Amino acid sequence: MSARPALPVPPTFAAGAARVFNLSLGEMLWSRRTVFLLLVTGAPVFLAVVARVVQGSGLVPLRVNGAAVDGGSIFGMMIWVFFLRFIVPVLGVFYGTSLMADEVEDRTITYLFTRPIRRGAVLVGKYLAYLVCTSLVVLPSVVLVYFLLVPIGQVARTFLAFAADLGLLALGLAAYGALFALVGAALKRPLVSGLVFVFGWEQIALLVPGYLKRFTVAHYVQSLVPHAMPSEGVAAVLQSVLRDNPPALVCVLVLAALVVATLWLGVKAVESREYVLEQ
Amino acid sequence: MTKRTRLFLFVSVGILVAGLGTGLVAAYVGGFQNLNFLGTSSPDELAYLPSDAKVVAFANVREIMDSELHQKLQALAPRNGDGLARFEEETGVDVTRDVDYVLGAIGGDTAAGPNQGHPLVIARGRFDTVRIEGLVLSKGGTVEDYKGVRLLKVAEPTGGMDAALAFVEPGLIAMGAQDAVRRAIDARKGGTASAAGNEELVRLVKQADDGNAWVVARFDALSAAGQLPPDVLQRLPAINWLTVTGHVNGGIRAAIRAETRDEAAAKNLRDVLQGILALAKLQSGQRADVAAIMDSIELGGEGKNVTLGLAVPIEVIDQLASLRTPGSLAPPAAPQPPQAPEPPTAP
Repeated sequence: MSARPALPVPPTFAAGAARVFNLSLGEMLWSRRTVFLLLVTGAPVFLAVVARVVQGSGLVPLRVNGAAVDGGSIFGMMIWVFFLRFIVPVLGVFYGTSLMADEVEDRTITYLFTRPIRRGAVLVGKYLAYLVCTSLVVLPSVVLVYFLLVPIGQVARTFLAFAADLGLLALGLAAYGALFALVGAALKRPLVSGLVFVFGWEQIALLVPGYLKRFTVAHYVQSLVPHAMPSEGVAAVLQSVLRDNPPALVCVLVLAALVVATLWLGVKAVESREYVLEQ
Repeated sequence: MTKRTRLFLFVSVGILVAGLGTGLVAAYVGGFQNLNFLGTSSPDELAYLPSDAKVVAFANVREIMDSELHQKLQALAPRNGDGLARFEEETGVDVTRDVDYVLGAIGGDTAAGPNQGHPLVIARGRFDTVRIEGLVLSKGGTVEDYKGVRLLKVAEPTGGMDAALAFVEPGLIAMGAQDAVRRAIDARKGGTASAAGNEELVRLVKQADDGNAWVVARFDALSAAGQLPPDVLQRLPAINWLTVTGHVNGGIRAAIRAETRDEAAAKNLRDVLQGILALAKLQSGQRADVAAIMDSIELGGEGKNVTLGLAVPIEVIDQLASLRTPGSLAPPAAPQPPQAPEPPTAP
């Protein structure tokens, strides 16, 4: 009597996450959402090209009350206005909340959950794909904006701040993505909750004196920015007056802890939640 | 992974690597200036300041000169340029254009006031070293080589403080009392302790660095200077450090932060300030411009810290400036008295 053939060993959590990552990266890159991503990150590049052309023609692209603003300052302004206040949180919300929600909506989650991998590995694999996808679109766009705006003679003075910008944007994408991956895994209408968090709660909490701002992601990400905050509008003035910058190391540690904690909670939520597909 | 996904990854990573590589090479060739990144603008020049500095002050001259507020004030009341023009003629330095930022410190005996210490000013900018050296020599100054740095010394004819000036780095001048300048050179070369190694001071400087001008001072140094009335000093809770941060751009925003000896002293100070603010708000009710400033004042802080923030928007500055325009302070002319009626004529 011959022995029954041994069942194949299911892949480990990490191997399962790597397979999902491999599958999801291509899907994510060539989805309709990427068109939005390219438009959003292309806008600053377009403006930088315009500024460069204007500068090349002998004109000053930006003046404040007659005084010319140099390329480095325009770059700092763009990091604040475009990338930190809009692109990073918005991409975190749109991509993070859809990691699981899209599979539920397309009714394809069943196919993923019937694979011999842990459910949590699906979320982690998709999160890693989100991180690679958004980082590899946002960061090259920042590189292009930097080299278009900052003259090569000023690179020595501004390079480390630029490198810090890249690092903090990657950290911001990681933190917002992980937070909204949890929201997407745990809540029924994650996109609405995410938008309310980013454009409601965070904006209000940053303007309120006291410790409420510590419960926002923006507080820690913005504390790492090496450029002066643009002081346009009453809200910006208030925010800058009430700004209380924690040390850089504290910010990095808090954001790293947030990524680990929210991903872990997201994994737990995916593994315990029963997804009911609407007919 | 499909071919086009791999191509995308290749192009994106290529842009990143090319950008970072180019920047790294350019920064290496340029000598890696501004190592003070990651959310801090605390200047590297702290390494020149004495470790026992009791007052440290910083002003980003470039930002302040470029600010909307400065441009507006210039338009409202053009500065008498004679002094600056003469200074530029003699030194070749246009303060409004050639100086990036200045950092000052007073070191020495903590018990003594700021006026009794050894002042030191570090200025970063573009300086005509030959012209400045020529000027110092023409005024009777002497040149000395101190640890490889040219030290220009000037003795005051009155026998007061002996001043010195040294070009410590390209684009960096240290000036002040001779002892202070020598100590600055020693500190940078690692001979003596510098403010960069004073953890408490560095922490306070980092807290103050979100403004384009700030002062960090030991409170006992200020009180020893006799600037505060003894009655006020007796009533004030124990304050260790005082930090004033200002940001000048469209308007002005400022934050004053006091670090007290303990939490009880901080609470006490908050109570005192709250009372003063309430009184001041009552008094300012009639003046809309002052009321706007008073309303912007925010008292806060936790633990041993007490903070007072205020913002003066450009509109309020415009309003205050308009009061200074000629004629606006003069009261309105009184109406002419009516002419006396003609006396009735005799029939």
